Amino acid sequence: MDILTTIIQNLANGLLIGGVYALIGVGLSLIFGVMRVINFAHGDFVVIGMYSALVIYRQLSLDPYLSLLIALPLGFLLGLVLERIILSPLVDAPEDSTLLATLGLALILQNTLLLIFGAEPNSLYVSYATATIKLGPITLSLIQLIAGAVILVVIIGLYLFLTRSEAGKAVRATAQNRLGAELIGINTLAIHSLVFGFGMVLAIAAGIILIPQLFATPAITGPVFTLKAFVVTVLGGLGNIWGAIGGGLLLGVVEVLGASYISNSYRDAYGLVAFLLVLLLRPEGLFGKTVKRV
Amino acid sequence: MSKFTGLAIFLAVGILFPLLLPGYLSLAITLLLFASWASAWDVLGGWAGQSSLGHAAFVGLGAYTIALSATRFDLAPWWAVLIGMGLAAALAWAWGSLTFGLRGPYFTLSTIAVAEILRLIAINERWLTGGAQGIFIFSLREPFGLDLFDRQTQYYLALAYTVIVIRIIIGFAKGKFGYQMRAVREDEASAQAAGINPTRVKLQAFMISGALTALGGAIYGVFLSFLEPHDIFFLPLSVQIALTAIIGGRGTIWGPTIGAVLLVFSAELFRNIFAQANLLIYGVLILVVILFMPRGLMGQLEHRIIRRRYARSTRS
Amino acid sequence: MPEVLEAEGIVVRFGGLVAVNNVSLRVQSGQILGLIGPNGAGKTTLFNALTGYAPLHKGRVSLLRRDVSRLAPYARIRRGMGRTFQIERPFEELTVLENVLVPAFLNTSNRREAEALAWQSLEKVGLADRARQPSADLNLARRRRLELAKALAVKPQILFLDEVMAGLNPPALKEMVTFVRGLSSEGLAIVMVEHIMRVIIELAEHVIVLAFGEKIAEGSPEEVTSDPTVIEAYLGGSDD
Repeated sequence: MDILTTIIQNLANGLLIGGVYALIGVGLSLIFGVMRVINFAHGDFVVIGMYSALVIYRQLSLDPYLSLLIALPLGFLLGLVLERIILSPLVDAPEDSTLLATLGLALILQNTLLLIFGAEPNSLYVSYATATIKLGPITLSLIQLIAGAVILVVIIGLYLFLTRSEAGKAVRATAQNRLGAELIGINTLAIHSLVFGFGMVLAIAAGIILIPQLFATPAITGPVFTLKAFVVTVLGGLGNIWGAIGGGLLLGVVEVLGASYISNSYRDAYGLVAFLLVLLLRPEGLFGKTVKRV
Repeated sequence: MSKFTGLAIFLAVGILFPLLLPGYLSLAITLLLFASWASAWDVLGGWAGQSSLGHAAFVGLGAYTIALSATRFDLAPWWAVLIGMGLAAALAWAWGSLTFGLRGPYFTLSTIAVAEILRLIAINERWLTGGAQGIFIFSLREPFGLDLFDRQTQYYLALAYTVIVIRIIIGFAKGKFGYQMRAVREDEASAQAAGINPTRVKLQAFMISGALTALGGAIYGVFLSFLEPHDIFFLPLSVQIALTAIIGGRGTIWGPTIGAVLLVFSAELFRNIFAQANLLIYGVLILVVILFMPRGLMGQLEHRIIRRRYARSTRS
Repeated sequence: MPEVLEAEGIVVRFGGLVAVNNVSLRVQSGQILGLIGPNGAGKTTLFNALTGYAPLHKGRVSLLRRDVSRLAPYARIRRGMGRTFQIERPFEELTVLENVLVPAFLNTSNRREAEALAWQSLEKVGLADRARQPSADLNLARRRRLELAKALAVKPQILFLDEVMAGLNPPALKEMVTFVRGLSSEGLAIVMVEHIMRVIIELAEHVIVLAFGEKIAEGSPEEVTSDPTVIEAYLGGSDD
């Protein structure tokens, strides 16, 4: 393969990985934008998605992509309930409090999963796991392409919801100005629950499309993805959900290129360094002008 | 009652402990280390109000400095400890200078990233750190004829460490520096109006906090005598340190120690039930504290005492 | 009389907006300077520029004949400024006494000396009987007085008072007016931003009127209140 093909191949791989990061980051950014909550349990929501695909596969032998149909509605409910119990009492508390509350939630989720499933790595083998599709000179993995398709559908759905539906408009109004939204009769507490539910749905979708591609362990995979989600959202601008898509794709590409051309062992460091630089030099993110936009 | 009465009692109990319960030395060392780390964290997190979730970086720095100086450079442990603390203070200074411009949660996020980057360096720079396989401390020089690998020696070192940390906190708690930090935590603009330079105060707090944490890291390194970057630099240790202080009560003298007693004992109690899932108890307790007593155990108690004392004084 | 504060050609900009445009003023010790003007006239911004809380775009601030234009707020405080905040900002987790200890520690590192100084300040403003109360529990009038006690505890040469009278009931207002007059007769220079015209007329020797960031009039209270531009600015500019 010549150099150009390698670069295109790497870019394609980076974008496919970045798509998953985007999906995770969009949820985190949505939650921050509307609720001003930095959700430390976000990576664990992804892990919940992974293990729910496992459970559904083992119990019902359902293909992971079909298990989305069961897991997403349940995840939405779980998100609603968790928000009601843990976050809604803290709606007027300092930002520090909600951060710590979600950190507590993260520890509870990680360790509950650990108690149920044990510490050994789990993955879900699908028969088409190694199938590839050739596109001219580059080769793409089938499951990554399916993942890409799922991400597109979910993100377009979210976009339509936020821009076209009444509820979506209420979400955006709440993000812009909670008090103002309340003055025009929006129940912002209900919006918070709704948004947390959506964040959970996006994370679970990401978990389900990831589980055929990697091995997951409850207490390690969660924090890893929480960190990635932070990186993605800070790159895109905290609270800027469309920026998070750019941030996700960018992180994917940076990781793959950095791993191929600099050093594979520092793969996780590239994102963190970019994260620190953006935080210090351009805290509003790479793509947005304001921190508040949704 | 002098302000040192509590510390004197603590020291007396600490000295007698190994004679009474010699079988629990390792548990007691863990307890003392967490009490001191949480107290050291609290200088920055509680007193100066800047929550860090990266303090494992300082533990790692202290532990690795003593391990490397013993195995690579044949340096005496007391020098290694001083170098470790110096490095930690320098790291805190650089880190704080860069990030204290960031508001609240952004600072917290940056601390995670810095600690993670250090962990990746420890894993990958094999020539220096031994890489992911970790590093053994085979032998240490014996200061004053003390065998540092002896559990009892380690216990007394940990006890001395805890006493030093708490002594330092008592020293500033009611003095100028203590009030400067609390003012900065409450309201930076208002602190400036009192002639306080908030950045300087936060940097000082961060450097003290980092250096003291690294001192404990050195003891921890000797206690483990085998360092793995995955354990010693990883996010969960940072989280444990922070939560211990927050559950016990931020910005109080004894809160972090009370937190450590509560958490280390309950982790021990539930060890058979939860096995590796020992952080479950941290998760549950932090949620309870945040939802029902946001000042933490000691903080809530102190708050009530102040109110009650004032109410009584107005009645008489 | 010695010049305490001298400001020349102060310009403050926020993005494209000129909040304060080319304002100069001077204050001597024992003198009370009043800053008035309709809402949004730039009073508080000017005030913040003098104390270092808003960035100077152009101009110069001298305190006791030394240029402090580039200094951060805390450094200006250390050289002799004291200020209150329009919305009182007590350190809520501290008691009243501890609140005043914080600025008192600027003058000494000794706890006993700082405490003595804090008590003095509290007695001066009449809050000594509340010293052990958690500051979060104070009512508005007492929070104002706490602000004053904190500003006095740094032992300033010049005091900046940002609407300390607003919202006070008539007896509390009267007390505050007497108190401020007392401070100036002790030789303290005072700059006050105030909404209540009556207070300014009663207290200030010299008044500067701002509108849209510009100085539109200055002089004795009688002069400015009879100035047609001032009346126009107040009646035409805002509903105040």
